[in-house]
Amino acid sequence: MRINGKSKILLVLWMISLGWFVGCGKVEKAGVTKEEEVKIALAGPLTGDIAAMGQGMSNACKMAIDDANASLKLKGIRLEFLPVDDRADPQEAVTIANQLISDQKVIGVIGHLNSGCSIPASKVYHQKKIVMITPASTNPGLTLQGFKNVFRVCTTDDVQGSFAADLVYKKLGLKKVSIIHDKTPYGQGLAEEFKKQFTANGGNPLSFDGINIGDKDFKALLIKINANKPEAIYFGGVYSECGLIAKQAKEIGFSGTIITGDGVFSPEYIKIGGKATENNIITMVGSPPEKLPLAAEFIKRYKKKYPNVDIQPYDAYTYEATNILIDAISHVGTDKNAIIDYICDVEYKGILGTTSFDEKGDTLNRIITAYIVKDGKFEVLK
Amino acid sequence: MFLHQIINGVTLGSIYALIALGYTLVYGILLMINFAHSEIFMIGAYIGLALIYFSGVYLQSKPIIFLLLIFLVSMSLIGCLGVLVERIAYRPLRHAPRLAPLLSAIGVSIILQNLIMVGVSAQSLPYPDVFPIKRYTFYGFNISSLQIFIITQSIILLIILHLFIHKTKLGRAMRACSQDMYISNLMGIDVNKVVAITFFVGGGLGAAAGILNGMYYGSIKYNMGFIPGIKAFTAAVLGGIGNIKGAVVGGYLLGIIESIGAGYLPAEYKDMIAFIILILVLIFKPTGIFGEQIVQKT
Repeated sequence: MRINGKSKILLVLWMISLGWFVGCGKVEKAGVTKEEEVKIALAGPLTGDIAAMGQGMSNACKMAIDDANASLKLKGIRLEFLPVDDRADPQEAVTIANQLISDQKVIGVIGHLNSGCSIPASKVYHQKKIVMITPASTNPGLTLQGFKNVFRVCTTDDVQGSFAADLVYKKLGLKKVSIIHDKTPYGQGLAEEFKKQFTANGGNPLSFDGINIGDKDFKALLIKINANKPEAIYFGGVYSECGLIAKQAKEIGFSGTIITGDGVFSPEYIKIGGKATENNIITMVGSPPEKLPLAAEFIKRYKKKYPNVDIQPYDAYTYEATNILIDAISHVGTDKNAIIDYICDVEYKGILGTTSFDEKGDTLNRIITAYIVKDGKFEVLK
Repeated sequence: MFLHQIINGVTLGSIYALIALGYTLVYGILLMINFAHSEIFMIGAYIGLALIYFSGVYLQSKPIIFLLLIFLVSMSLIGCLGVLVERIAYRPLRHAPRLAPLLSAIGVSIILQNLIMVGVSAQSLPYPDVFPIKRYTFYGFNISSLQIFIITQSIILLIILHLFIHKTKLGRAMRACSQDMYISNLMGIDVNKVVAITFFVGGGLGAAAGILNGMYYGSIKYNMGFIPGIKAFTAAVLGGIGNIKGAVVGGYLLGIIESIGAGYLPAEYKDMIAFIILILVLIFKPTGIFGEQIVQKT
């Protein structure tokens, strides 16, 4: 390639700018030697099908870190926010987990969202004893691995699945139920817990089918299911598939209720499913935020900070998880083992009420709330 | 339930057939598999969505005219995109070894996908209902107005394509080129023009399929083209790639087999059915259902 006059000028300009940036970096570093800088990583699906939830987590985590840095509560420690994307893919989750443990400055990880990502990634964090607090992974298997560094601030699927089964069988009196799940540890796990409790109540599910994540066409399956005339479909999975299932079920003539779990509890569900989501029931971990005064305050501040974003269900949990980690850092400093020990015994009073952990690392705050979709909004089911 | 699955299969098949035609038309003339076609289909759905939003209220008041406009505009835009892709990525490689345009096609596919991912959105976008969907029930099966719309729309397009290929001068030129491009050139046919027209027509049909697909499933995403693309390719191979009638029959057949298969096998095997068919056809009857013996062109 021949370099003409213009290109030469550009090249020179580029080199100058490069040098300037490098120079700046040095000056800045020299300026802040007194403060210790540590990173809190947020790992979740920042892109992909359920990016809305991942982005929400990222927003909430950043908010907690900004709050802490602004409040000067952490003397001599400056927190840096490090969002990393696992694309809801377990392989990607392990890759980024390995990157995070090789970064000396990463002091703790908030994440991941999907249980399928959290479980393999937690094995990686365990090697380096980096604390991991998941705001959203609900598969019980995560904390059954015996890892001391793994905590979660949300309730598990066995509580949620059996809550839903009791709700459907006893309260709503629906006996003819078909079950669909998305074959992930989260979706299938939740569906199996539902099935277990439903059978224990004396019910007999009509069918139990898996679907493929990312699929768009569920009509063939739904027609098959609908031939048995179920009164309800229980779905274990996330909103991107559930929205389509709701929509297509209505189209093929299913007239019952769709009942799902926390992975569907997102405004995106109603956007994708449209009118077909009306009267569908969703169980969500925790009390409704409106009932917790501090949570309402959090929602107000969140909306002010991110005005054009719909708040996602796990944002409050992410904020809480991040704050628990920050609380630990403010008490014991940046020693990784001390942080884990501190969180084991913590009694943190935050926006979700009081959070403390059992010996497995699960929160003792085990409330489940059922919501129903009315006029395109989630309302607490009475 | 059986009839219901068949109706489903025919709807799915209509979409496959429209995409499969894009593969087959190009293969018939250039003997190359245009792997960027699945992205053409995807971008068609996005352009359709943009136009639906753009027409907004007017679409509610005069649905037929505006729906027709939406289809015509997005089909011609995507047709032009097809021509552009051919001009930039395939024409310079027309006399290169066959692997080169194939790789170029995959490159184009990646570029187009990423353009939409970065430029528009990495998430699924909801597709609005263009008209109210009614369901009609006859003797135990039901069909929705949307399914009727998709099936009739694709049949109309197929008839227009048939008339175009068999009754017009350009169509005759296309058929001539598919028999022998070199001799056609000697006979005074502008080969480049014919190739451009082929990509235009194939792209247009792909765009129509994209919009129908979006309307049917109610959500679109930047990587939505991949699976339907491969399935439509299977349909084209099943019917005999390069054969127009074959692509249509293969499309409908694949749609029906897939629906019935998914209705009776566990649901997670649905995607497998199409690929098993592809493998079986390639092993036992590589020329497909309407397979004529492949003329070795040099």
